[in-house]
Amino acid sequence: MKLNYRYTLAYAIITFFVLSIGFAIVYAALSRSATQATIGKLEGLNAVVTGQLRRGGSYAGHPSRANVWVARGVPADTARHAPLVRLRNEWEPALQSEVRMVRVTTYPVVRGQVYRVTSRAAVVEPRDAYLTGLMLVFAWTFVFLLALVVILSEVISWRILRPFTQTLRGIQQFQLSQQQRIALEPSRTTEFNVLNEFLLRMTTRAQSDYQGLKEFSENASHELQTPIATIKAKLELLLDSELTEPQLRLLTAMHDELERLSRINHSLTLLAKLEHFDTRPGTFTDLSQLLPATEAAFADLAEMKNLRTTQHIAPGVVVPLDEALAQLLLNNLLSNAIRHNQPGGEIKLQLTPEFLLLENTGHAPTAPVEELFGRFKKGNAALDSIGIGLAIVRRISELYGHRISYTYAEGWHRIRLDFAPVPAG
Amino acid sequence: MKILLIEDHAELAASIAGYLTQEHYICEVAATFDEAREKLVLFTYDVVLLDIMLPDGNGINLLKLLRKEGVDSSVIIISAQNALDFKLTGLSEGADDYITKPFPLPELHARIKAIMRRRSPQKNNVLTFQDLTADLDSLECRVNGKLLSLTRKETNLLLYFIHNKGRMLSRQAIAAHLWGDYTDNLDSVDFVYQHVKNLRKKITDAGGQDYISTVYGFGYKFNAPE
Repeated sequence: MKLNYRYTLAYAIITFFVLSIGFAIVYAALSRSATQATIGKLEGLNAVVTGQLRRGGSYAGHPSRANVWVARGVPADTARHAPLVRLRNEWEPALQSEVRMVRVTTYPVVRGQVYRVTSRAAVVEPRDAYLTGLMLVFAWTFVFLLALVVILSEVISWRILRPFTQTLRGIQQFQLSQQQRIALEPSRTTEFNVLNEFLLRMTTRAQSDYQGLKEFSENASHELQTPIATIKAKLELLLDSELTEPQLRLLTAMHDELERLSRINHSLTLLAKLEHFDTRPGTFTDLSQLLPATEAAFADLAEMKNLRTTQHIAPGVVVPLDEALAQLLLNNLLSNAIRHNQPGGEIKLQLTPEFLLLENTGHAPTAPVEELFGRFKKGNAALDSIGIGLAIVRRISELYGHRISYTYAEGWHRIRLDFAPVPAG
Repeated sequence: MKILLIEDHAELAASIAGYLTQEHYICEVAATFDEAREKLVLFTYDVVLLDIMLPDGNGINLLKLLRKEGVDSSVIIISAQNALDFKLTGLSEGADDYITKPFPLPELHARIKAIMRRRSPQKNNVLTFQDLTADLDSLECRVNGKLLSLTRKETNLLLYFIHNKGRMLSRQAIAAHLWGDYTDNLDSVDFVYQHVKNLRKKITDAGGQDYISTVYGFGYKFNAPE
């Protein structure tokens, strides 16, 4: 959820509560004032009736007496009573319904006599008359406020948060391997500046650490090659001299191990290089040509294992990949397919504009499938491989956004490479 | 045949120079950028073996210098970086070939031979060894004049053997020669065995002698029977 949505939501909830309370207050005030006004009118009526009593004469048919009852000879101690107000629901025959009624009783003293004058009137209840109207007013106010909050928060947060979004973009575009510092713009907001300073410090340190590590690993593996070359050359010279059988075996074993060492070293160097290989956009490789060519290069190796290879290759499949890396990727995949196959097995190649599928027969891998792409994992312990090939394959795929997946079922290894969608234009 | 080896690592330089001298090349060694430049100005060499990591300057600059001066030597780059790195860093400064450390010495020898062949296409294009002849242009191999029907890999293997006759050749060296970059994770040992077996059979079937002897657990040796 975006930050300003959260703010908007909070404001909306607050607005809703405030408006609800406001509505309650208005409603209460309205019903109270309606009752008060009625009471005031009835008191006035009582005063009129009292005046009529004072003047004497018969007012029985007078319209003022329609809802007034006058009683005479009330006990005198009630004369001290203040006017009595009663509010209750009563059955109104004229309306045939329950109506809220106010009765006001006064005890005027006329010519020494205590009278009781009771008048009554129906109170208009807001619940009946005004509730819907009130609700509508408040609802509209709420909607209006909400719209205002949404629009304004969008505008204001865009303005206030602009440095923040720029910082985010800077972080997204930042790569450890780049030489220049992270691109952050200063802002007028203190917190954002603090954040930017912190990011700048952190990334600069990470960059220098990374650079140091990279140089170290490159130098280390590079410097190892020369001594290995020297030892190998000397061993070869030694092997050409007169040797006894045990000596020859020892030297041969050394030679083999050295070979392994140099290969591991090469592969690791390559992986390290691929870790921070900058893909140049716009490099494409025509797999429809490269794949058959690679297959042909391996043909004699496949033949020696009596493998049957079938290919279904769509023409003109061009995917974003560096040519040299594509070659390396195919080499690794094909040599794996040959290597982990049983004699007389099969290899199937399928290339479409969407994916490359390579299937080969072979024994089930001993390692869990998801670990196969890890470094130095051997799918089949029986074979002497350094198991780094698939790690390289995966790394190359990742570089260009292709997705690689591996499954094993019913004696078939399936490696599928889903190509990244080619950006339009 | 004069070769200049530019390599700062004394031990390695001595090994390579020793090997090449045995193969009847005249091999001189320069250990630094300056020394190499001096030698290249004063003398002409057929082949320059150039290590591109020198203590006092990058070998690539030396290569550029060579090309600028119009020196006509063939250049083989010796590097601890492999072919792929070269391709990735976009290195194409006009070297004729490159070879990656650590390399088998016979492989270096084969590469030098190949380059020399490209330099002088008209002379001596038939290799002869005992009753075997190999025409380097048409890639036809014959035993006592009788044509052998060899695959490309077998032809390549036979040439490699003839070039490096009398030497111990490890199976890995042979595999690296035949398949180059493809050998990284292959059971090269078995494949080499197969190819050698086929080659032997074809030569003996055609009435030739078997000059290939197996060196147990290591590889092969190609030489005339004593």
